Amino acid sequence: MAQYDQSADPTGFALNLVSLKPARGFVTVVVSTIALIVVCAFFAPSAISAGGLAGSLPFAAIIAIVGLGQMLVVQQGGFDLSLAGGVSLAVVITTHMSGGSDAHLLGAIALAFACAILAGVANGILVGVLRLNAIVATIGMNALMYGAVFAVSGGVPRITTPMMAQIAGGKIMGIPNSILFVIAILVLVSFVLKKTVVGRRFEAIGANPAAAHAAGLRVRLYQAMAYVFAQLHYCMAGILISGITREPTAFQGDSLLLPSVAVVVLAGTSLLGGRGFPVSTVIAAFFLNQLSQFALAVGVPFSAQTIIQALALVFGIGVYSLRWKQAATKTAQKSKTEETDNV
Amino acid sequence: MFKSKTMTAAFAAATLTMALAGTTALAETPSWCGPKQASLALLDGFGGNSWRLVTTASGAEEAAKCPSITQYEYADGQGDTQKAISDINSMAARGINAMVVFGDAGPAVLPALTNAHRAGTIVVPYRVNVGGVEGENYAKFIGSSFVEDGVSWGNWIKEVLPEGGNVLFLSGPAGNSQGTDELAGMKQVLDDKYVFINPEPFAVTNWDPSLTQQVLSAEIAKNDKIDVIVSDFGPSLVGALPVFAEFKRSIPALATSDGNSLSCFWAQNHAANPDFKLFTVATGNDNVRLAVQWAVALATDGTPPADNIFKAPVYEDSVSGTPNPVTCREDLPGSIYLSAEMADDAQAKAVGQ
Repeated sequence: MAQYDQSADPTGFALNLVSLKPARGFVTVVVSTIALIVVCAFFAPSAISAGGLAGSLPFAAIIAIVGLGQMLVVQQGGFDLSLAGGVSLAVVITTHMSGGSDAHLLGAIALAFACAILAGVANGILVGVLRLNAIVATIGMNALMYGAVFAVSGGVPRITTPMMAQIAGGKIMGIPNSILFVIAILVLVSFVLKKTVVGRRFEAIGANPAAAHAAGLRVRLYQAMAYVFAQLHYCMAGILISGITREPTAFQGDSLLLPSVAVVVLAGTSLLGGRGFPVSTVIAAFFLNQLSQFALAVGVPFSAQTIIQALALVFGIGVYSLRWKQAATKTAQKSKTEETDNV
Repeated sequence: MFKSKTMTAAFAAATLTMALAGTTALAETPSWCGPKQASLALLDGFGGNSWRLVTTASGAEEAAKCPSITQYEYADGQGDTQKAISDINSMAARGINAMVVFGDAGPAVLPALTNAHRAGTIVVPYRVNVGGVEGENYAKFIGSSFVEDGVSWGNWIKEVLPEGGNVLFLSGPAGNSQGTDELAGMKQVLDDKYVFINPEPFAVTNWDPSLTQQVLSAEIAKNDKIDVIVSDFGPSLVGALPVFAEFKRSIPALATSDGNSLSCFWAQNHAANPDFKLFTVATGNDNVRLAVQWAVALATDGTPPADNIFKAPVYEDSVSGTPNPVTCREDLPGSIYLSAEMADDAQAKAVGQ
């Protein structure tokens, strides 16, 4: 009884205790990742060599950051398709507005963040306040952002500034800086989500907006803010890409949309909203990236590479689906009564 | 879409074109420009990268040499096949006399081209094979010899690695015909001493700098010995080549297509990388000039050029210095192509920098 009382507390200490028990997503992702590393060690040792990792980890970092952004939106039962435009816009603003000069870099980065906030607020208003379908609203926003990408760049790639290359592509004590960025962002997101009042309310609203509304929480505001913070993540990823890839194209975000959703799902966040799993999301990003490296290192034809990745994803998602089925039959009766309670 | 960026191109016509453009004053009318007045349109399937911007500007520059061309139009399909088709239809409906078409969508644009051809427009598709038959579906197809590029690379590889070695070949999307043609060209020249260590027929990069970086780091980790890298889009390697430093290995020899950013990268890094030799073929922006010459000649009753296929000339060789040593222009944008006939600063203007 005492536990139930605590979980009603918005500071959510009880929920924290519950989250100490490893979530199913976390276990699945960690086990899969370890299995993949073992497989790599036997069949493609080069994929986990120091040099191989140094080359591939920055790209895992990018997937992790966009994954964390997408996770926030998915937690609110939404879906952000403007990720591609958001990342690409940040890339072209950082490379073009700075004009290859370090002196203008800071201004360009500030402008990129300003655009991200603007786009996020627009998305948030459309979805959170005006109640548009998230997919439709963010597709529209994506088109608008690509308009901005063309306006800034004309579709032309440009070489990044030396300072940006150093910041995003450099290393501190042998660790790629991009990894340090991910760790910092992960700590921040986890702390806010799990240890602050705002974060606990955010998760509660995602889990059950109607109940949260009844409890007096500002559901629309929180849902809208998910899109703003998601855009900030995409922007951060775009800025890092502009340093990691020396001459990034104007469409660098396109190839990130699918992985962003994949890592969120692999990490166990329900597409219907609710609890988020930041740590699992970052591990899933490493897993996904390592999987491509494995396929490349094994040297199988391109068609087989694609199939290996698809199978791994199907397997990952299949694990959840199967358990859901069992859980659904067991708790069918229970959930019915819960539904009535909620109403 | 990025197919275009890659190399390809270039012309046997280079000599002819250079002669025309270089030695004769612009005021003199070239022989392919006839007396009959005509309008000309350049139709692009996708216009959004620096290679296309330079190519489009080159096409306009070539057309401007002929005073009989009274009207010049440009349309960008923006990578959208439907738009590319409707561009072709609308140009034909407007009564444009001749159109030069970069048919990115391949055979999908053939019906529109055929309709325009039947309606009496001079239709000249170039570079991307759209299928169909000359004289029936369009007036003339100006292809580009990718096999020739492969042969040029192969010959150079034999020069720098007479004892044979490991070759890593990177091309664009899986199954693109450009890559397979280039491979065929290399295989004509290279025997069994040269081992291709990439998955057959080439390592897939989609010509995306970011994917190229990932593919290259995986290949470097996997292969202790890479003697030469062949890529049909040189500038996309600029971000990836520093990966060799991670493995404390020298960047190997590189046979590819040119780009200012690549040449500058070589200039900055060859001292620290003893094995880093660079060989480039022209990236082929001037393919469009040959196509424009053909279209104008047919529309204005001029004399068509002797060539109907564009062969990319060899451009840079860091070993022999012929026909050119590696040339870096720090003062110009990285995304221009010094091999193109168009003046360097005009290219910089075309790419908006």
